[in-house]
Amino acid sequence: MRLVVPPVINAAGLIPFLALLGSVPAVEAEITLDFSSLRRVSPAGLVALAAMVKHWQGQHFHRVQFEGIPLCPILGYLQRMDLLRVCDVSSPEDFECHPSHGRFVPVQPITDVDMMSKDVAACLAPGGDDFEHPASPLYDLAAYVIGELGANARQHSRGTGYVAAQVNKGEAMVRIAVADNGHGIRQSFVDAGLAWSHGLSDSASIRKALEPRVSSKGEPVNQGVGLTLVTGLARHTQAWVLIVSGTGIVQIDPDGQVKERNLPPGCIYHGTLVTLTFLHSKLRDFYTLLDAVKQEAGLLAKRPIRTRFT
Amino acid sequence: MKLELHLAEELGSHLADGAKAVAFRMVRIDPYVGMQAEIVLDFTGVRHGNSSFVNGLLTGLLEEHGEALLDRMTFRGCNPVLKVLIEGAIALGIQKHDLRATA
Repeated sequence: MRLVVPPVINAAGLIPFLALLGSVPAVEAEITLDFSSLRRVSPAGLVALAAMVKHWQGQHFHRVQFEGIPLCPILGYLQRMDLLRVCDVSSPEDFECHPSHGRFVPVQPITDVDMMSKDVAACLAPGGDDFEHPASPLYDLAAYVIGELGANARQHSRGTGYVAAQVNKGEAMVRIAVADNGHGIRQSFVDAGLAWSHGLSDSASIRKALEPRVSSKGEPVNQGVGLTLVTGLARHTQAWVLIVSGTGIVQIDPDGQVKERNLPPGCIYHGTLVTLTFLHSKLRDFYTLLDAVKQEAGLLAKRPIRTRFT
Repeated sequence: MKLELHLAEELGSHLADGAKAVAFRMVRIDPYVGMQAEIVLDFTGVRHGNSSFVNGLLTGLLEEHGEALLDRMTFRGCNPVLKVLIEGAIALGIQKHDLRATA
């Protein structure tokens, strides 16, 4: 099966691209990806592609081929974002590597969540580890979001997760994306034996995962608040959120409106993709933000508790 | 008897992995709770934590032992974000403990 990677994989182009990836039959032996037309791709497109290619490569009956790489107008970008390296494609790099700090986080597999949350935050918000630094709100937000989404991908997906991010200084936006190639949110509920999950659609399962204290992992490891708080932080900062899992799509707009839809019939995204776009101008003190989100989700005490801090 | 744990030294400055928190709690805290030890959790040097980690560390403890355990616990060196996370984890644990008692 030949897949022509479309010219633009961001914003409105992302869902059609996921549908294209999801149209590959499970029994397909030969998959060819043609990159010759690709001109623009978001971090979400990169991690979704990496996760899916690694999924295919992990299924031993698939043979994945890459075509049109030298013709790709953004070859340097794909190399700099480590997409080709992650997908085991060798392509000579004829550029000088500049530090990625403050600009982007290349595609990388999720292994050590603690270290990754630290590294991604430092990369997106240099200097932000100092609480007094203007980049501190972005540093904390990035570390929090990556930590929670990375842990979800590692603990729940039964697949491998990938992360990438980018700071767009012109638009003053930060895009963070995490994708895995596991069994999806709905199946993780089913596998956990949660009776209410039977008959639930993929998009309804995504909605369910946004509710506080809903977890497929169960205690004591998980209290089911990770995705709740991540999307709460997004709503409080008027961010865009897109979650794709199986056939389901849930989108949260900056005005907080939640939209639910499905991939086209016959298409399934094997895993879960979560992508968030934050506006720099909407970020503020992370402590205040987190406190407000926790209050809203009913996750703070309704009466005084004698916690001793020194 | 006093149990004093320095989280940055033992686990690092960025704590985001709930599974790691639970494993740490089971080995380094749980055995001492029954011995009526005073427990000091020192977060000095911890720059960042998230709900998964702090809930994994504390919610189960409070669920099992209830609010009375707080008389023996001290949280040292917490930045404002960690304080919110700790308060949330404790609230959740107490709520679960109370639910257990009434069940």
